[in-house]
Amino acid sequence: MAGARAKLDWTGIAFAVLLTVVIIFPLLVVCTWAFANSWFYPHVIPQQFGVRYWQATLARQDVWSALWISIRLTVTVTVISCIICLPAAYAFARLHFPFRNVLFFSFLAGQAFPKFGLLVAIAAIFLRLNLIGTFWGVALIQLVGTLLFMIWIPVAAFQSVDRRMEEAARDVGAGPLRVFWSITLPQAGPTIAAAILLSAVGTFYETEGAWLIGAPAISTTPVLMISFINNQPVIQYGAVLSMILWIPSLVALIFARRVIASGAFARGFGA
Amino acid sequence: MTISAAAPDASMSKVLSRGAIGLLLVAAPVLLMLWLIVWPIISAIFATIWIETPQGGHVLSFKTYEFFFTDRYSLDNLGITIWTTAISAVLLLVFCMPLALYLRFSGGRLAAYVQSLAIFPMFVPAIILSYAFIRVLGPNGMLDILLNAVGLPKIPTPYLTPWGSVIGLVWDNIPLTVLILTAGLGNISNASVEAARDVGASRLTVFRAIILPPLGNTLLVALSFQVLNIFSAFTLPYVLGPAAPEMMGPFMQRTFKELNNPTGAVTQAVIAFVFCVVFGLFYVRSVARNRARG
Repeated sequence: MAGARAKLDWTGIAFAVLLTVVIIFPLLVVCTWAFANSWFYPHVIPQQFGVRYWQATLARQDVWSALWISIRLTVTVTVISCIICLPAAYAFARLHFPFRNVLFFSFLAGQAFPKFGLLVAIAAIFLRLNLIGTFWGVALIQLVGTLLFMIWIPVAAFQSVDRRMEEAARDVGAGPLRVFWSITLPQAGPTIAAAILLSAVGTFYETEGAWLIGAPAISTTPVLMISFINNQPVIQYGAVLSMILWIPSLVALIFARRVIASGAFARGFGA
Repeated sequence: MTISAAAPDASMSKVLSRGAIGLLLVAAPVLLMLWLIVWPIISAIFATIWIETPQGGHVLSFKTYEFFFTDRYSLDNLGITIWTTAISAVLLLVFCMPLALYLRFSGGRLAAYVQSLAIFPMFVPAIILSYAFIRVLGPNGMLDILLNAVGLPKIPTPYLTPWGSVIGLVWDNIPLTVLILTAGLGNISNASVEAARDVGASRLTVFRAIILPPLGNTLLVALSFQVLNIFSAFTLPYVLGPAAPEMMGPFMQRTFKELNNPTGAVTQAVIAFVFCVVFGLFYVRSVARNRARG
């Protein structure tokens, strides 16, 4: 083993090169397209670089309205999800009530089915309720997508809070709200914040529910991106929108990388 | 006497009220889950076998399923879905297994870089991935440009062919497959691997005899997760795959929206449920068991 380590790590180099080509290179190509004023086959690099298409894309009404709808949906869904899921998570972690385990594990139900099939089954119900093509139809379907995440991760966060510190605070006369605010929340907070961030980013990128329930009346940014891919002959519009669309993911990447690299995240997926 | 009678009574009502508070706090998400996950599934099964007659009554009938399983086009779509799922799952395991083994048994900066890259696609939404795919592998894409620059012929593009869906789905599912496999490999002790190496076992023997046997469950979890994800995938096959035959995801969407036939779409959804039920139950059982273990 020691001898192998002293040698050059050829396996590692091979993986690094392969993954760089397969994963980073395509994204660099998109980035180049976004800053190409003109680029025609067979030139290896654009004939002219520039930000002409940034101006053109940002001048489009449909881009702004799609971004606005996406932001409104993300904020609405995240806020409602916090309001209904976080108290429930606290209850699952701390209170004893009938059927607690059954109800807790029942949130897995959605994971047992192929997702798009489930969305179609929901869409059939929304059809009868006239929710197809409405803001609230899309919001509801995206809200369901956040439930498991927004309950299971905060439950783990509340469970990992040191109970002895809470009891000590109570012993010196702190009320339950005071204990929650000064002891429980600061300890559980960072994990809960990561859950909220990841579910907000996930909602922003949710495409399938938005496409099935919302389009064409409710055109979120990913839905607009699909129509750019299918119908837009000017390549740069899609490239610029990709770059704009990627910003929330970049934020998530910076904040959540540690959470994901830890084994706890993979265990959440059943590993 | 009055005291001892009153005490259990008071604690009983306290327990009851605490139970009621707990139930009240979890009521909203539970009801939402019942309404938008459990009810749609039950309703989908009922709506496809308890068919409305022209006279306004209902009758038990399997004719939507009979149609699906006698319709050439529907069967082709089911076939291409099974083909894509199988090929993608095999490619994912073949590619991610060596990667996970490497990450498990090495350290240092290079391994950290490889790990970051392997997880990176998780932060690239499927729709941006599709666009990048077309710019690189599409007609006159970056690969064609580079091949042309060195005087080689263009590639037959996988865009709008079944391989388009496969490449996109494999790319998209690399991170979680690697994470699941690496977590599973974490349970194998360094000591047992080193002991086998010391007595002269080759790398392949170590893999077959020491690493693979305890990994069975992990492999099944990874496989179930992939099947659930790929079988009814929508965005990637819709944008990158062929128009006909199409995978079940785009097929359901088109049946629902363009053909305006919700019963047909729900029938296809139920068929997708049935094909995935074993994987779904196994996957959920593993997640639940892990969670219960803490």
